[in-house]
Formats: sequence, C-alpha cells, structure tokens
Amino acid sequence: MVANYAAMDVRPGSMGKPLPGIEAGIVRKNKVGEVEEITKPDYYLSETIDMSRTIKWLAEENQKRPVEGRLLLGALLVKAVALALREVPELNGFWKEGRAVPSKEIHVGMAVSLRGGGLIAPALHDADKQSLDELMKNLRDLTQRARTLRLRSSELTDPTVTVTSLGDQGVETVFGVIYPPQVAIVGFGKVVERPWAVNGMLGARQVMTATLAADHRASDGHRGGLFLAAVDRLLQESDKI
Amino acid sequence: MTKDEIKNTVLRILGGIAPEADLTQINPKVGFREQLDIDSMDLLNFAIGLKKELGVEVPEADYPKVASLDGCVEYVMEKHAR
Repeated sequence: MVANYAAMDVRPGSMGKPLPGIEAGIVRKNKVGEVEEITKPDYYLSETIDMSRTIKWLAEENQKRPVEGRLLLGALLVKAVALALREVPELNGFWKEGRAVPSKEIHVGMAVSLRGGGLIAPALHDADKQSLDELMKNLRDLTQRARTLRLRSSELTDPTVTVTSLGDQGVETVFGVIYPPQVAIVGFGKVVERPWAVNGMLGARQVMTATLAADHRASDGHRGGLFLAAVDRLLQESDKI
Repeated sequence: MTKDEIKNTVLRILGGIAPEADLTQINPKVGFREQLDIDSMDLLNFAIGLKKELGVEVPEADYPKVASLDGCVEYVMEKHAR
C-alpha cells in the first residue's frame, strides 16, 4: 500500500511512500498466477510542441550576438526542463532503497554522444539557477570535455535527471532509457516543419516531439503530463527564461 | 591569404572538431555533415574557429554556404576580398 499520508515530505501527485511497516511495490501476475514485483515500472509520454516562436526568437537573438555568444536550442531545452522540474519535483531525484528521494538541487545530465560511438551524460549543475548564457557556456565546455574524456567525477555521478536530444542526428522522436537510480529521462527530437491546425485553420509550423520516460514508483502519468505541458509553456516564453 | 592557405586552415579547424576523420578523403563539394559526424555544437565550434583563425564572422543564415569545403573556401575568399 502506497499513499501520501499526513506529515510526509512529498508533493501532491507523487506515488507516495509505503505506509509504515508495509513494503511498496508495483506487481503483476505471472503466467502461473503468482504475484511478482515489477522492478522497473516505467511509463512513457509524448507531446508535440509548436516550436515556431522559439526558433524565431533564437534566430533573432543569435543575429544580434557575436559567434562566440550564440545560443543553441539545446541550452534552451535544458533550461525549460530544469524550470519545469521545479513544478513537478518528483521527476527530479532518485529511487533508493524502496522509496522516492526527490532532490533539492536540479542537476541535468546531458546525454553527449562520443565520436566513434558511446554515450556519456555529465551534469549541468543547478541548471534551474543558471542564466541561458551561463548554461550555453557550460554546455559547450561540458560537451568539449566529454568528447575529450576530461570530466570531473562529480559531473558523471550526480545528475538528478537526464535530457537526451537526438535532433541533430535527425530522429523525430526519442524514447529514453532511465539511468537508475534516477527516475526520469526527457527526450527531444528534431525540429521539423509539419501541417498544424489552430482554431480550424491549417498552417505549416515548426514542431518538435518531447517525450518523458519515468519510473511509475516515483510519479504518475498525470504529473508527467503536467511536466511536459510546463516544458511546452516555458519554451513559448523563451525570451523570459 | 592564398586559396590553398585558406583551404588548409579550414581543414585544420575541421580536424580539431572531428579528430577521428581522415580529412584527405573528404569530398570538397559535399557537405561536412554528410561526411563527418557533425552536430550543431560542432558547427558552432567550426564557426567560432573560422572567426578566430580567418577573421570571418559567419551569421547563422550563412551556415549552408560554409557547409562544404569548396563552399567554405569560396565564402572566406569573398569576405577577405572586401
């Protein structure tokens, strides 16, 4: 039995903690009718985000900037994720010893593909508190160091959530695999032009698929949906984040 | 700067970004992206390299023009001629 009970330090909507004296688990019946625990109960959500405003803002912003100061979409995505996690904190943290352990800090692990194969997801520390310019600078630095394998051990061990952005490789949708003990991974695909209907009118818009894979023991689909909606909302206000 | 000097500088910048690539095998008429494993971060670093090494600032809108070796050399020569 899992519940949110009084005097518990968990935000509304989380799956709660086991009632005292009771062990938590998500179970299923196996072929012979026995109850077995599902040790990795993930759920997946997907949302298509209209990126037209965001892309336009980014292009205008970069026109004003010298080449060294230009922003990449990746920095905006990390910032939007970090701010959205403040609203749905149960996606940010770990599942440890049978319970959810949300993190106060938001360290976003950014999946970086290595040349010649391989993947590494070092952390951008306190991503919610960094300005876009700081995030961009740190993202450049981190990517560079990841690819030359010059990372600090803390960067490799302490992400509280992971972002994977495969847009550059040209895929439209990426379903991430959670890195335990983390409880969520956010995936962003390529920005593509697609027919898009608003108020019964069809137009061409630039859209991007955002996905969430999350551990059902720490959060649920309703809260996950709110998270993706928050990412969408924040990306529409790129000038403010 | 001669055409060859510009070409060699561009190849050196590319070599710093994609050290595993055999740049002697690169087709000068085809885009880097199709031949090397280049993402948006690499492209930005390439643009920064062009500014540092060749003094040419490439606006984002001109990225397609510098996306191949021939295109890039031509672009730099044009900017230097001004």
